[in-house]
Amino acid sequence: MPLIHLWTALPLAKLEVGHHFYWHIGNLRVHGQVFITTWFVMAILIAAAFAASRNIQRVPSGIQNLMEYALEFIRDLTKSQMGEHEYRAWVPFVGTLFLFIFVCNWSGALVPWKLIELPEGELAAPTNDINTTVALALLVSLAYFYAGLRKRGLKYFTKYIEPTPVLLPIAILEDFTKPLSLSFRLFGNILADELVVGVLVLLVPLFVPLPVMALGLFTSAIQALVFATLAATYIGEAMEGHGGEHEGAHS
Amino acid sequence: MFDFDATLPLMAVQFLILTVILNALLYKPLGQALDNRDEYIRTNLQQAKERLQQATELAQQYEQELVSTRRQAQALIEEARAEAQKIATAEIAEAQQAVQAELLKIQAEIDQQKQATLQALEGQVASLSEQLLAKLLA
Repeated sequence: MPLIHLWTALPLAKLEVGHHFYWHIGNLRVHGQVFITTWFVMAILIAAAFAASRNIQRVPSGIQNLMEYALEFIRDLTKSQMGEHEYRAWVPFVGTLFLFIFVCNWSGALVPWKLIELPEGELAAPTNDINTTVALALLVSLAYFYAGLRKRGLKYFTKYIEPTPVLLPIAILEDFTKPLSLSFRLFGNILADELVVGVLVLLVPLFVPLPVMALGLFTSAIQALVFATLAATYIGEAMEGHGGEHEGAHS
Repeated sequence: MFDFDATLPLMAVQFLILTVILNALLYKPLGQALDNRDEYIRTNLQQAKERLQQATELAQQYEQELVSTRRQAQALIEEARAEAQKIATAEIAEAQQAVQAELLKIQAEIDQQKQATLQALEGQVASLSEQLLAKLLA
Protein backbone atom coordinates (compact mmCIF):
# COMPACT_ATOMS: atom_id res chain seq x y z
CA MET A 1 0.00 0.00 0.00
CA PRO A 2 2.60 2.59 -0.92
CA LEU A 3 -0.03 4.99 -2.14
CA ILE A 4 -1.83 5.09 1.17
CA HIS A 5 1.42 5.55 3.03
CA LEU A 6 2.24 8.40 0.74
CA TRP A 7 -1.10 9.94 1.44
CA THR A 8 -0.79 9.65 5.20
CA ALA A 9 2.71 10.98 4.96
CA LEU A 10 1.47 14.14 3.33
CA PRO A 11 1.74 17.14 5.61
CA LEU A 12 -1.89 17.06 6.75
CA ALA A 13 -0.31 18.37 9.86
CA LYS A 14 -1.66 16.73 12.99
CA LEU A 15 -4.51 14.85 11.43
CA GLU A 16 -3.44 11.48 12.55
CA VAL A 17 -5.07 9.30 9.95
CA GLY A 18 -3.63 5.84 9.94
CA HIS A 19 -2.00 6.11 13.31
CA HIS A 20 -3.51 3.89 15.89
CA PHE A 21 -3.24 3.45 19.58
CA TYR A 22 -2.44 -0.25 19.52
CA TRP A 23 -3.33 -2.61 22.30
CA HIS A 24 -1.89 -6.09 22.28
CA ILE A 25 -4.08 -8.86 23.50
CA GLY A 26 -2.10 -12.09 23.34
CA ASN A 27 -0.65 -11.93 19.87
CA LEU A 28 -3.58 -9.91 18.52
CA ARG A 29 -3.44 -6.22 17.81
CA VAL A 30 -6.48 -4.02 18.31
CA HIS A 31 -7.10 -0.32 17.91
CA GLY A 32 -7.45 0.93 21.42
CA GLN A 33 -8.84 4.35 20.56
CA VAL A 34 -11.78 2.72 18.78
CA PHE A 35 -12.60 0.64 21.81
CA ILE A 36 -12.40 3.55 24.21
CA THR A 37 -14.87 5.63 22.23
CA THR A 38 -17.07 2.59 21.55
CA TRP A 39 -17.33 1.93 25.27
CA PHE A 40 -18.19 5.54 25.81
CA VAL A 41 -20.94 5.32 23.17
CA MET A 42 -22.24 2.06 24.57
CA ALA A 43 -22.28 3.56 28.05
CA ILE A 44 -24.33 6.52 26.81
CA LEU A 45 -26.81 4.26 25.02
CA ILE A 46 -27.18 1.86 27.92
CA ALA A 47 -27.55 4.71 30.40
CA ALA A 48 -30.21 6.36 28.25
CA ALA A 49 -32.04 3.08 27.78
CA PHE A 50 -31.88 2.36 31.48
CA ALA A 51 -33.09 5.84 32.40
CA ALA A 52 -35.93 5.56 29.89
CA SER A 53 -37.22 2.17 30.99
CA ARG A 54 -36.55 2.40 34.70
CA ASN A 55 -39.88 3.93 35.56
CA ILE A 56 -42.25 3.50 32.63
CA GLN A 57 -45.30 5.73 32.73
CA ARG A 58 -48.41 5.60 30.63
CA VAL A 59 -48.00 9.30 29.91
CA PRO A 60 -44.33 9.55 28.98
CA SER A 61 -42.11 12.45 29.90
CA GLY A 62 -38.47 13.40 29.76
CA ILE A 63 -36.03 10.71 28.70
CA GLN A 64 -38.79 8.13 28.29
CA ASN A 65 -40.47 10.40 25.77
CA LEU A 66 -37.24 10.85 23.86
CA MET A 67 -36.46 7.15 23.69
CA GLU A 68 -40.06 6.34 22.77
CA TYR A 69 -39.76 8.80 19.94
CA ALA A 70 -36.57 7.07 18.80
CA LEU A 71 -38.17 3.67 19.15
CA GLU A 72 -41.23 4.67 17.16
CA PHE A 73 -39.00 6.13 14.49
CA ILE A 74 -37.07 2.86 14.26
CA ARG A 75 -40.27 0.83 14.23
CA ASP A 76 -41.68 2.90 11.38
CA LEU A 77 -38.44 2.57 9.46
CA THR A 78 -38.31 -1.19 9.94
CA LYS A 79 -41.99 -1.62 9.21
CA SER A 80 -41.80 0.33 5.98
CA GLN A 81 -38.93 -1.86 4.76
CA MET A 82 -40.09 -5.27 5.96
CA GLY A 83 -43.84 -5.11 6.17
CA GLU A 84 -46.28 -5.45 9.02
CA HIS A 85 -45.72 -9.14 9.73
CA GLU A 86 -41.97 -9.50 9.86
CA TYR A 87 -40.64 -6.30 11.27
CA ARG A 88 -40.97 -6.87 15.00
CA ALA A 89 -38.21 -9.43 15.36
CA TRP A 90 -35.77 -7.15 13.56
CA VAL A 91 -36.44 -3.93 15.45
CA PRO A 92 -33.65 -4.58 18.01
CA PHE A 93 -31.02 -5.25 15.35
CA VAL A 94 -31.88 -2.40 13.02
CA GLY A 95 -32.57 -0.09 15.96
CA THR A 96 -29.22 -0.81 17.56
CA LEU A 97 -27.52 -0.23 14.20
CA PHE A 98 -29.17 3.14 13.92
CA LEU A 99 -28.63 4.25 17.50
CA PHE A 100 -25.07 2.98 17.67
CA ILE A 101 -23.96 4.57 14.40
CA PHE A 102 -25.83 7.77 15.17
CA VAL A 103 -24.30 8.21 18.61
CA CYS A 104 -20.88 7.17 17.29
CA ASN A 105 -20.97 9.76 14.52
CA TRP A 106 -22.19 12.52 16.75
CA SER A 107 -19.75 11.65 19.49
CA GLY A 108 -16.99 12.15 16.94
CA ALA A 109 -18.39 15.53 16.02
CA LEU A 110 -19.54 16.84 19.39
CA VAL A 111 -17.25 15.40 22.05
CA PRO A 112 -13.92 17.26 22.29
CA TRP A 113 -11.83 14.10 22.23
CA LYS A 114 -8.74 16.13 21.42
CA LEU A 115 -8.52 17.15 25.05
CA ILE A 116 -7.59 13.59 25.94
CA GLU A 117 -4.03 12.85 24.92
CA LEU A 118 -3.18 9.39 23.74
CA PRO A 119 0.39 8.14 23.34
CA GLU A 120 -0.34 7.45 19.69
CA GLY A 121 -3.28 8.11 17.38
CA GLU A 122 -6.30 10.09 18.48
CA LEU A 123 -9.74 9.52 19.80
CA ALA A 124 -12.47 9.97 17.21
CA ALA A 125 -15.77 8.50 16.13
CA PRO A 126 -15.51 4.69 16.13
CA THR A 127 -17.15 4.76 12.72
CA ASN A 128 -14.14 6.38 11.11
CA ASP A 129 -12.21 3.18 11.63
CA ILE A 130 -12.76 0.76 8.76
CA ASN A 131 -12.82 -2.18 11.17
CA THR A 132 -15.97 -0.89 12.83
CA THR A 133 -17.90 -0.26 9.63
CA VAL A 134 -16.85 -3.55 8.05
CA ALA A 135 -17.86 -5.36 11.23
CA LEU A 136 -21.31 -3.76 11.11
CA ALA A 137 -21.70 -4.39 7.38
CA LEU A 138 -20.73 -8.04 7.74
CA LEU A 139 -23.23 -8.40 10.55
CA VAL A 140 -25.87 -7.01 8.21
CA SER A 141 -24.85 -9.57 5.58
CA LEU A 142 -25.09 -12.39 8.10
CA ALA A 143 -28.42 -11.00 9.26
CA TYR A 144 -30.01 -11.00 5.85
CA PHE A 145 -28.71 -14.48 5.03
CA TYR A 146 -30.09 -15.66 8.35
CA ALA A 147 -33.40 -13.91 7.75
CA GLY A 148 -33.77 -15.35 4.25
CA LEU A 149 -32.80 -18.87 5.25
CA ARG A 150 -35.04 -18.83 8.27
CA LYS A 151 -38.03 -17.49 6.39
CA ARG A 152 -37.74 -19.48 3.18
CA GLY A 153 -35.40 -22.36 3.98
CA LEU A 154 -33.21 -23.54 1.13
CA LYS A 155 -35.58 -21.94 -1.34
CA TYR A 156 -33.79 -18.75 -0.37
CA PHE A 157 -31.02 -19.65 -2.80
CA THR A 158 -33.43 -19.72 -5.70
CA LYS A 159 -33.28 -15.94 -5.60
CA TYR A 160 -29.95 -16.21 -7.42
CA ILE A 161 -31.58 -17.75 -10.47
CA GLU A 162 -35.12 -16.60 -9.93
CA PRO A 163 -35.96 -14.23 -12.79
CA THR A 164 -33.34 -15.78 -15.03
CA PRO A 165 -30.10 -17.74 -14.42
CA VAL A 166 -28.31 -15.29 -16.67
CA LEU A 167 -28.15 -12.87 -13.77
CA LEU A 168 -26.49 -15.43 -11.48
CA PRO A 169 -23.05 -13.72 -11.47
CA ILE A 170 -24.62 -10.37 -10.72
CA ALA A 171 -26.75 -11.87 -7.96
CA ILE A 172 -23.65 -13.40 -6.39
CA LEU A 173 -21.72 -10.20 -6.85
CA GLU A 174 -24.46 -8.36 -5.03
CA ASP A 175 -23.73 -10.30 -1.85
CA PHE A 176 -20.25 -8.80 -1.94
CA THR A 177 -21.15 -5.31 -3.04
CA LYS A 178 -23.77 -4.89 -0.34
CA PRO A 179 -21.41 -5.08 2.66
CA LEU A 180 -18.71 -3.33 0.69
CA SER A 181 -20.89 -0.35 -0.16
CA LEU A 182 -22.43 -0.24 3.32
CA SER A 183 -19.08 -0.20 5.09
CA PHE A 184 -17.26 2.13 2.72
CA ARG A 185 -20.09 4.62 2.53
CA LEU A 186 -20.19 5.03 6.28
CA PHE A 187 -16.43 4.94 6.72
CA GLY A 188 -15.81 7.38 3.87
CA ASN A 189 -18.43 9.85 4.94
CA ILE A 190 -17.38 10.02 8.55
CA LEU A 191 -13.67 10.07 7.85
CA ALA A 192 -14.08 12.67 5.12
CA ASP A 193 -16.19 14.80 7.40
CA GLU A 194 -13.60 14.73 10.16
CA LEU A 195 -10.80 15.39 7.68
CA VAL A 196 -12.57 18.35 6.14
CA VAL A 197 -13.26 19.83 9.54
CA GLY A 198 -9.68 19.17 10.60
CA VAL A 199 -8.19 20.76 7.50
CA LEU A 200 -10.44 23.79 7.76
CA VAL A 201 -9.61 24.21 11.44
CA LEU A 202 -5.94 24.12 10.51
CA LEU A 203 -6.35 26.73 7.79
CA VAL A 204 -8.83 29.09 9.45
CA PRO A 205 -9.16 28.35 13.13
CA LEU A 206 -12.12 30.67 13.75
CA PHE A 207 -15.78 30.53 12.68
CA VAL A 208 -15.20 29.33 9.12
CA PRO A 209 -15.29 25.64 10.04
CA LEU A 210 -18.60 26.06 11.86
CA PRO A 211 -20.91 25.63 8.83
CA VAL A 212 -18.90 22.59 7.78
CA MET A 213 -19.24 21.21 11.30
CA ALA A 214 -23.00 21.72 11.14
CA LEU A 215 -23.05 20.01 7.77
CA GLY A 216 -21.00 17.24 9.36
CA LEU A 217 -23.64 16.75 12.03
CA PHE A 218 -26.28 16.53 9.33
CA THR A 219 -24.27 14.03 7.27
CA SER A 220 -23.59 11.95 10.34
CA ALA A 221 -27.29 11.66 11.13
CA ILE A 222 -28.12 10.91 7.50
CA GLN A 223 -25.45 8.21 7.32
CA ALA A 224 -26.84 6.49 10.39
CA LEU A 225 -30.29 6.61 8.84
CA VAL A 226 -29.02 5.34 5.48
CA PHE A 227 -27.15 2.47 7.05
CA ALA A 228 -30.12 1.37 9.13
CA THR A 229 -32.56 1.78 6.25
CA LEU A 230 -30.40 -0.20 3.85
CA ALA A 231 -29.87 -2.93 6.43
CA ALA A 232 -33.62 -3.16 6.91
CA THR A 233 -34.15 -3.17 3.15
CA TYR A 234 -31.67 -6.00 2.60
CA ILE A 235 -33.21 -8.07 5.37
CA GLY A 236 -36.73 -7.38 4.14
CA GLU A 237 -35.69 -8.23 0.59
CA ALA A 238 -34.16 -11.53 1.67
CA MET A 239 -37.38 -12.48 3.44
CA GLU A 240 -39.52 -11.34 0.57
CA GLY A 241 -37.60 -13.49 -1.88
CA HIS A 242 -37.62 -11.52 -5.09
CA GLY A 243 -34.01 -10.46 -4.72
CA GLY A 244 -32.69 -7.15 -5.90
CA GLU A 245 -35.84 -5.50 -7.08
CA HIS A 246 -35.59 -2.37 -5.06
CA GLU A 247 -32.14 -1.51 -3.95
CA GLY A 248 -33.18 1.40 -1.82
CA ALA A 249 -31.71 4.86 -1.98
CA HIS A 250 -27.93 4.95 -2.09
CA SER A 251 -26.26 8.13 -1.20
CA MET B 1 -5.94 3.48 7.16
CA PHE B 2 -7.08 0.12 5.88
CA ASP B 3 -5.41 -2.07 8.42
CA PHE B 4 -7.77 -4.80 9.47
CA ASP B 5 -6.97 -6.64 12.64
CA ALA B 6 -8.66 -8.15 15.64
CA THR B 7 -10.63 -4.92 16.10
CA LEU B 8 -13.11 -6.10 13.48
CA PRO B 9 -14.44 -9.30 15.11
CA LEU B 10 -14.29 -7.70 18.55
CA MET B 11 -16.39 -4.78 17.34
CA ALA B 12 -18.89 -7.22 15.88
CA VAL B 13 -19.09 -9.06 19.18
CA GLN B 14 -19.43 -5.79 21.07
CA PHE B 15 -22.19 -4.69 18.77
CA LEU B 16 -24.09 -7.94 19.32
CA ILE B 17 -23.69 -7.56 23.08
CA LEU B 18 -25.00 -4.00 22.81
CA THR B 19 -27.95 -5.30 20.80
CA VAL B 20 -28.78 -7.84 23.49
CA ILE B 21 -28.45 -5.28 26.28
CA LEU B 22 -30.54 -2.67 24.48
CA ASN B 23 -33.11 -5.31 23.62
CA ALA B 24 -33.54 -6.08 27.30
CA LEU B 25 -33.33 -2.47 28.47
CA LEU B 26 -34.98 -0.52 25.68
CA TYR B 27 -36.83 -2.34 22.92
CA LYS B 28 -38.72 -4.84 25.04
CA PRO B 29 -39.97 -2.65 27.90
CA LEU B 30 -40.58 0.47 25.81
CA GLY B 31 -42.14 -1.52 22.99
CA GLN B 32 -44.37 -3.16 25.55
CA ALA B 33 -45.27 0.27 26.90
CA LEU B 34 -46.07 1.53 23.41
CA ASP B 35 -48.25 -1.47 22.64
CA ASN B 36 -50.02 -1.20 25.98
CA ARG B 37 -50.71 2.46 25.38
CA ASP B 38 -52.07 1.72 21.92
CA GLU B 39 -54.30 -0.94 23.41
CA TYR B 40 -55.41 1.40 26.18
CA ILE B 41 -56.24 4.18 23.75
CA ARG B 42 -58.08 1.82 21.44
CA THR B 43 -60.26 0.35 24.20
CA ASN B 44 -60.93 3.80 25.62
CA LEU B 45 -61.94 5.09 22.24
CA GLN B 46 -64.19 2.08 21.77
CA GLN B 47 -65.81 2.65 25.14
CA ALA B 48 -66.26 6.32 24.45
CA LYS B 49 -67.92 5.50 21.15
CA GLU B 50 -70.25 3.04 22.86
CA ARG B 51 -71.13 5.59 25.50
CA LEU B 52 -71.82 8.22 22.91
CA GLN B 53 -74.10 5.76 21.15
CA GLN B 54 -75.92 5.05 24.40
CA ALA B 55 -76.25 8.71 25.18
CA THR B 56 -77.68 9.43 21.76
CA GLU B 57 -80.16 6.61 22.12
CA LEU B 58 -81.19 7.83 25.56
CA ALA B 59 -81.63 11.36 24.30
CA GLN B 60 -83.78 10.09 21.48
CA GLN B 61 -85.83 8.05 23.87
CA TYR B 62 -86.37 11.02 26.14
CA GLU B 63 -87.29 13.13 23.18
CA GLN B 64 -89.93 10.65 22.20
CA GLU B 65 -91.22 10.42 25.74
CA LEU B 66 -91.38 14.16 25.93
CA VAL B 67 -93.39 14.31 22.73
CA SER B 68 -95.85 11.67 23.87
CA THR B 69 -96.20 13.28 27.30
CA ARG B 70 -96.89 16.63 25.74
CA ARG B 71 -99.50 15.05 23.56
CA GLN B 72 -101.13 13.43 26.59
CA ALA B 73 -101.14 16.72 28.44
CA GLN B 74 -102.75 18.39 25.47
CA ALA B 75 -105.43 15.72 25.37
CA LEU B 76 -106.05 16.11 29.09
CA ILE B 77 -106.43 19.84 28.80
CA GLU B 78 -108.79 19.40 25.91
CA GLU B 79 -110.87 16.92 27.85
CA ALA B 80 -111.01 19.11 30.92
CA ARG B 81 -112.02 22.06 28.84
CA ALA B 82 -114.83 20.09 27.20
CA GLU B 83 -116.07 18.90 30.55
CA ALA B 84 -116.00 22.36 31.98
CA GLN B 85 -117.93 23.56 28.97
CA LYS B 86 -120.50 20.89 29.52
CA ILE B 87 -120.87 21.69 33.19
CA ALA B 88 -121.15 25.34 32.48
CA THR B 89 -123.87 24.78 29.88
CA ALA B 90 -125.78 22.54 32.23
CA GLU B 91 -125.59 25.04 35.06
CA ILE B 92 -126.69 27.89 32.86
CA ALA B 93 -129.65 25.85 31.72
CA GLU B 94 -130.56 24.98 35.29
CA ALA B 95 -130.29 28.56 36.37
CA GLN B 96 -132.48 29.66 33.53
CA GLN B 97 -135.03 27.03 34.52
CA ALA B 98 -134.97 28.20 38.08
CA VAL B 99 -135.42 31.78 37.03
CA GLN B 100 -138.26 30.73 34.79
CA ALA B 101 -139.91 28.85 37.62
CA GLU B 102 -139.52 31.81 39.97
CA LEU B 103 -140.96 34.06 37.33
CA LEU B 104 -143.97 31.82 36.92
CA LYS B 105 -144.52 31.66 40.66
CA ILE B 106 -144.31 35.40 41.00
CA GLN B 107 -146.67 35.80 38.09
CA ALA B 108 -149.12 33.47 39.74
CA GLU B 109 -148.85 35.35 43.00
CA ILE B 110 -149.44 38.63 41.26
CA ASP B 111 -152.44 37.15 39.53
CA GLN B 112 -153.78 35.84 42.77
CA GLN B 113 -153.36 39.21 44.52
CA LYS B 114 -154.97 40.91 41.56
CA GLN B 115 -157.83 38.53 41.83
CA ALA B 116 -158.16 39.17 45.54
CA THR B 117 -157.94 42.89 45.09
CA LEU B 118 -160.55 42.78 42.36
CA GLN B 119 -162.85 40.75 44.59
CA ALA B 120 -162.31 43.21 47.41
CA LEU B 121 -163.00 46.10 45.06
CA GLU B 122 -166.13 44.35 43.82
CA GLY B 123 -167.35 44.13 47.40
CA GLN B 124 -166.60 47.80 47.95
CA VAL B 125 -168.33 48.64 44.66
CA ALA B 126 -171.44 47.01 45.91
CA SER B 127 -171.41 48.89 49.20
CA LEU B 128 -170.47 52.16 47.49
CA SER B 129 -173.33 51.85 44.98
CA GLU B 130 -175.72 51.16 47.83
CA GLN B 131 -174.47 54.30 49.61
CA LEU B 132 -174.79 56.29 46.36
CA LEU B 133 -178.27 54.99 45.92
CA ALA B 134 -179.19 55.91 49.44
CA LYS B 135 -177.80 59.42 49.05
CA LEU B 136 -179.67 59.91 45.75
CA LEU B 137 -182.92 58.68 47.16
CA ALA B 138 -182.62 60.73 50.25
